Amino acid sequence: MDFTVFAQQIANGLVNGMAYVLIATGLTLVFGVLRIVNFAHGEFYMLGAYITYFVGTLFGLDYIAAAAISAVVVAGLGVAANKLIFWPLRRDHEFTILLSSLGLALLIANGGELLFGADPKYVESPFADEVLDIGTVTLTQQRVLVFAAAVVTLIAVYLFIRYSRFGKMMRATAQNPDGAALTGINIGLVHTYTFALACGLAALSGALVGPTVMIFPTIGNWAVLKGFIVVIMGGLGSVTGALFAGLLLGVIESLGGGYISLGFMEAIGYAMIIAVLLWRPNGLFSTARGLR
Amino acid sequence: MFGRRTLLAAAAALALTIPVAGTTGAQAQQPPVRIALIGPMSGTGAFEGQLGLEGAQAMAAVINAKGGVAGGRKIELLTYDDKGSPEDGVSAAKRAMEQDNVDMIIGGWFSAVALSMKEVTRDKIITVMTSSQHPKVTEEGHKYLFRLNATSAMMSEFYSKAICERIKPKSIAFMNVNDDWGRLELDNYTKLLTGCGIEVKGHEFYNRTDTDFTTALTKLKSLNADAIYVAAINTSQGATIYRQIKQTGYRGKVIASAGNMNPKLVELSGNSLEQVYSASPFTEDGAAPSLKPWLEQYRKDYKNDPSFIAALGAQAVQTLAFGVDAAGGDPRAYDKIAAALKSQAVPTVMGELRFSDKGQASQAIHLVQVQKKQIVSVRD
Amino acid sequence: MNTNSHGQPLAIAGGVAALAVLPFLAGNAYLEHLLVLWMLYALLALSLNIVIGYLGELTFGHAAFVGVGAYTSAILSTQLGLPPLLGLPLAGLVAAAFGLVIGYAALRVVGPQFAILTLGFGAILFTITNHWVDLTRGPMGITDIPPMAIGPLAFDSARPTYYLVLALVLATAYLCHALVGSRTGRAFLAVRENAPLAASLGINVFHTKLMGFVAATAIAGIGGAIYAHYIRVITPDIMGVHNVAALIIVVIIGGRGTILGPILGALVYIGLLESLRVAGPLRMVIFAALLTGTVVFLPGGLISLWQRWRNAHRSENTQPATPTGLPSTEGGAK
Repeated sequence: MDFTVFAQQIANGLVNGMAYVLIATGLTLVFGVLRIVNFAHGEFYMLGAYITYFVGTLFGLDYIAAAAISAVVVAGLGVAANKLIFWPLRRDHEFTILLSSLGLALLIANGGELLFGADPKYVESPFADEVLDIGTVTLTQQRVLVFAAAVVTLIAVYLFIRYSRFGKMMRATAQNPDGAALTGINIGLVHTYTFALACGLAALSGALVGPTVMIFPTIGNWAVLKGFIVVIMGGLGSVTGALFAGLLLGVIESLGGGYISLGFMEAIGYAMIIAVLLWRPNGLFSTARGLR
Repeated sequence: MFGRRTLLAAAAALALTIPVAGTTGAQAQQPPVRIALIGPMSGTGAFEGQLGLEGAQAMAAVINAKGGVAGGRKIELLTYDDKGSPEDGVSAAKRAMEQDNVDMIIGGWFSAVALSMKEVTRDKIITVMTSSQHPKVTEEGHKYLFRLNATSAMMSEFYSKAICERIKPKSIAFMNVNDDWGRLELDNYTKLLTGCGIEVKGHEFYNRTDTDFTTALTKLKSLNADAIYVAAINTSQGATIYRQIKQTGYRGKVIASAGNMNPKLVELSGNSLEQVYSASPFTEDGAAPSLKPWLEQYRKDYKNDPSFIAALGAQAVQTLAFGVDAAGGDPRAYDKIAAALKSQAVPTVMGELRFSDKGQASQAIHLVQVQKKQIVSVRD
Repeated sequence: MNTNSHGQPLAIAGGVAALAVLPFLAGNAYLEHLLVLWMLYALLALSLNIVIGYLGELTFGHAAFVGVGAYTSAILSTQLGLPPLLGLPLAGLVAAAFGLVIGYAALRVVGPQFAILTLGFGAILFTITNHWVDLTRGPMGITDIPPMAIGPLAFDSARPTYYLVLALVLATAYLCHALVGSRTGRAFLAVRENAPLAASLGINVFHTKLMGFVAATAIAGIGGAIYAHYIRVITPDIMGVHNVAALIIVVIIGGRGTILGPILGALVYIGLLESLRVAGPLRMVIFAALLTGTVVFLPGGLISLWQRWRNAHRSENTQPATPTGLPSTEGGAK
């Protein structure tokens, strides 16, 4: 086995996996705290990439600023979606909430196609084509950035949930929404903040991954599927689980695609999650209800 | 950002709902010639479908401005979405024929759609297939069927010569889309390039839904081939592949598949397509008399640059208009139209077309190269 | 189980009669084609409803079983020359066999995990179909599939196919109706409402669920086979996520856990998408907005409108409002 190729595939897998982790973190927060399976999460990823593109091209802002603006704007859109759809439905059956998120996903994806045009676009980033050689491994600066920014973001999210006042409110709501409400926690506010955080994270991942590929209005489908696989495999509501599951999925896909069959790359990923769920039905890092 | 697509689509919607009104005088009595354009208007092929539609509409505008066909009848294009899927293509063709009662059909951007759609339209209605390259489209005898694009066999015969004689790699690896066309390309070129002494080092098939190609390209890079041949139809996948080939640190030659070079691809690929060759029946500096007015109309109406796919759309409309005129003006005289198209040269934006008895067109193919982000034809 | 009003058999007979004359009112072949699509979606939605509505589990793998059935019959008829009529039950059997194996593994988990497991199995079936080119022709799909025929009667156009699928829809609807009233059906509902309680009452939860799942996949396979012989071309797209979403939309928008709901949902789905063609590029946007709005304002599905009206109507007649025959959509596990 050629070590250079092996190391390169591992590196590719880690970067792809970290992108999955970023997408999955928002999803797992929304599920862990609010018990909502949000199929529109991928569309917020798509919006994040597109808003980064438009802020960059229309207003001439540099890539980093555009990414930050896009995360804030999409966080606002997430709050609006919560107000209009998820908050009013909070007491309804889970299938109803799920279908409403599916409807929202269709709405944003088709609206996006109408608004942004069907032509693929490319998010310009100064790091996209700059190649870094780390030992025998070749990565673009952008891909290194995806990994580094994800690590920083995850640490920030972890500290936020652990130590901030809102983080504590989120955890309390995750464990027992009615009990949390009794102790005077404003559940509505927790909903709002959780959605803002989750959608902002989705947008950030879109802005980060955007320059490594082309963007088009249906990229959200891909993102939400990968996100869900990671979330379920890691354990619903578990940020730590998402981290491990995401990296594992990325590396296994990359090695499976590289050494077994490229065509079956996705299937290998699915086979892994089936194996994990049959072994541990609640995912790798799940013990009980709550946010970890 | 609302762009022409919105306007275009809105116009298409109007065309669907409102019977053409507003023409005055003697022409108002003449019903339009109604042509269904069935293509991928949503889904992964949406951009290619949009280019084809734009090209066809620009040509319809040119013809209508000159008084239309058959002594004053305007061409009306009705748009249908096949989503790039054979099932939806079948449904769209059924709707066009049975509900909207169109006179003629343009379709078949993807081979799989073309292959299934032709069974619905077989011997019932004049059908022009556009970009699909699968040999079976015109192989199976369908008296009203015409196909514009060169078959992959015709394309590869021309292009492999250029690869052997001009690009001259010592070895080659293939990065092909996993569909009928991508698989056919691999077979054709493996045979033809091995024949002129180029070593084929390996191949990878990627899926039509893939967005990231680093895993496949890492594998291909490790084969140390002199050149990587990329067979990608979809513009966004193509652009990602060309960029990522450079990003993996591959320094060999890159060869783009025949018929799949367009200005958007060049724009999206940054510098990674510089000096890359492709083959195309369409070049902007062609000599066909109808090319100029169409280019002007196209640039006036749309923000995209004219492309091969758009030119195929234009060519389809031209072919049908020519056929109707040559057959005496009745768009339903299918036997006459088919006979007329098969017996004489059809002047189009890409030069004169000649159709075989099976309805297969022969197109002149040119070698093109990307130079300073422009697609230019390479002439000796 | 008793009927709750004397009008019900009459209403059913009237409904069936109306469905039977529909093709003659359609006026053109394209509308008849739409009627066939309606019935096909209704059949598939009824089968999915067994899992979603009666077992209370969400499956993302249903389209894969439709695909397995379609490919089974298509391959048998194009490569082995088997008459499509024989392929139909075989398609159901093969799909049921896949359903048995996959259900046996996946039904050990519940909720979102079950959904993702079925998604995973579905994706693997899709990938195999897409890459086993020798058997399935991969992404090129199978073309030139012969139409179904019973002796001299060929189902090569919309009208005969409509009657064939209509018959299957009615049969499936009747089966569902009989099932809900049977011991097995009550076991289904008990499992849906409270699995631990059902288990303590001696119901084998796992076997009950597996039975429902296999029945659903068998019907899905038959539906897929009819689709293949009607459209006469299939590609792996039939197993795609897009179709999964479409079927879930049909079931939930119509009213899960009811018999009329999926049939109504299919009608609305096909009819709405078709009539929204006039909206041109706004078509899918309007569709998605209507979908989301319906879910937000009518969580029980369209059928709940009628149930509300009926309940209101009945309380005027001072009859006890005990919905029978159709289990209440609101009664799902909250």
